Amino acid sequence: MKHYEVEILDAKTREKLCFLDKVEPQATIAEIKNLFTKTHPQWYPARQSLRLDPKGRSLKDEDILQSLPVGTTATFYFRDLGAQISWVTVFLTEYAGPLLIYLLFYFRVPFLYGPRYDFTASRHAVVHLACACHSFHYIKRLLETLFVHRFSHGTMPLRNIFKNCTYYWGFAAWMAYYINHPLYTPPAYGDEQVKLALAVFLFCQLGNFSIHVALRNLRPAGSKTRKIPYPTRNPFTWLFLLVSCPNYTYEVGSWIGFTIMTQCLPVALFSLVGFVQMAIWAQGKHRSYLREFRDYPPLRSPIVPFLL
Amino acid sequence: MAAAAPPSTAPGKPRPSLPPCAESGRRPRERRNMAAAAGGGSRADNGYGGQQPRRRKGPGALATAYLVVYNVVMTAGWLVIAVGLVRAYLAKGSYHSLYYSIEKPLKFFQTGALLEILHCAFGIVPSSVVLTAFQVMSRVFLTWAVTHSVKEVQTEDSVLLFVVAWTITEIIRYSFYTFSLLNHLPYLIKWARYTLFIILYPMGVSGELLTIYAALPFVRQSGLYSISLPNKYNFSFDYYTFLILVMISYIPLFPQLYFHMLRQRRKVLSHTEEHKKSE
Repeated sequence: MKHYEVEILDAKTREKLCFLDKVEPQATIAEIKNLFTKTHPQWYPARQSLRLDPKGRSLKDEDILQSLPVGTTATFYFRDLGAQISWVTVFLTEYAGPLLIYLLFYFRVPFLYGPRYDFTASRHAVVHLACACHSFHYIKRLLETLFVHRFSHGTMPLRNIFKNCTYYWGFAAWMAYYINHPLYTPPAYGDEQVKLALAVFLFCQLGNFSIHVALRNLRPAGSKTRKIPYPTRNPFTWLFLLVSCPNYTYEVGSWIGFTIMTQCLPVALFSLVGFVQMAIWAQGKHRSYLREFRDYPPLRSPIVPFLL
Repeated sequence: MAAAAPPSTAPGKPRPSLPPCAESGRRPRERRNMAAAAGGGSRADNGYGGQQPRRRKGPGALATAYLVVYNVVMTAGWLVIAVGLVRAYLAKGSYHSLYYSIEKPLKFFQTGALLEILHCAFGIVPSSVVLTAFQVMSRVFLTWAVTHSVKEVQTEDSVLLFVVAWTITEIIRYSFYTFSLLNHLPYLIKWARYTLFIILYPMGVSGELLTIYAALPFVRQSGLYSISLPNKYNFSFDYYTFLILVMISYIPLFPQLYFHMLRQRRKVLSHTEEHKKSE
């Protein structure tokens, strides 16, 4: 069997970092990364980006050496992606925070409001309902992270956990402060407003969950295949006819429902910021679908039917 | 350690000529930093001095003409403010309460700098939109949300401190851009831009902080820009606390910007020295 030789150069300095000889032709990039880690233990595989061209795309872990356009001496360029943390860890941390933080404000734990309010309960029914909805939302997210989602990447850069947690935890505290405040003003249109908001919220929670399940079913366990998602028998998934990322659409919908329910400006602002971020993600996802699949349904928009 | 053993065979033989794996060795090739980017200039520096130069295709002829006009007008505007200050000082005989003599041109020309955000957004100036927006907004904030809004601070000497710092800085900065666009940058202007900030930046920051500090009691007392509970939007905002947070934010931001500009200065001025020596 003809063996390959692999040399790994630094993508920025072109310095030779490592030389591997007698590499099997069927070796995957993942295996080569493991070999590289042996000589440079500080660069564990998750933080390695290997590419054929210093400015090119990263090679995938599943790529096989002999199927790449390289001669018998392959040259790879290495970029350090920085310290990595697993997606699951990040998701669990960033979602557990809001769940607990909101409850601290709901139960009016000391030092948040004046001492005479410590451990008192709000007299507004909507405040209790809002707590239930908010908690349900984040419990759902935690369970989905553990049991539903199938992640394409194992890890993300470590600094993301600080950024993400600041965002989620910060906003959760800000919203919870006002909703559970002793001087909270309930919605102007009373019960009707709250009922409508609850209906929107629940509808969108179900919708969001349905999409997550549909996306999970697109991809067998342990694989990283990518397929076009299509509507299934579940009516909530019919939004796929109009939108590439209906999970984001439903998510924005849930938060709009929560805004109407609580009639709280910080919640509206959180919904707005979330919408902007998800719209950016949806545009990106939509574009990569279009690039990858020639037969991608033309009617679909990224996140808002026909508009955005 | 030059070679790693492939999984199935005996340890591979090391290649003799390979440099050791662990050393990171050579520093990345240094970018040649041109101080006079044809695109007209960039602001990593709150306008006080250094530039973040980049090699990029410059703006088209129409954009260049527009930018020249813009920068000339801004230079003229800040000169008006400078002259206004001097004349008022001579007329009054003291340097107190000179703000009123230049209040209108200050507001006009400082607010006009908002256009620079658009210049970045449209790509006719090679700067980061976010960075420029941040810098311009902070100036506009000082001008309108502090000095204009809290009338009682308008007689403070700290206002003069930052107005003078801004005026000198902006005259130099806008003339720097003008000359750069015309590809005819006198060394004096480049030197001034990358040197005077050493004094002007701390001066301006001091003036700004003292002014905000002076405004605090009046904001507290009048409840300016503040909203408290209960209200139907379940929202509150305390401008007093906000101003304190703004002041605190100077602590991490100022040193970073200042040292960045010092580094820029070293690069830009030493490069020119080399250039001059080689002639």
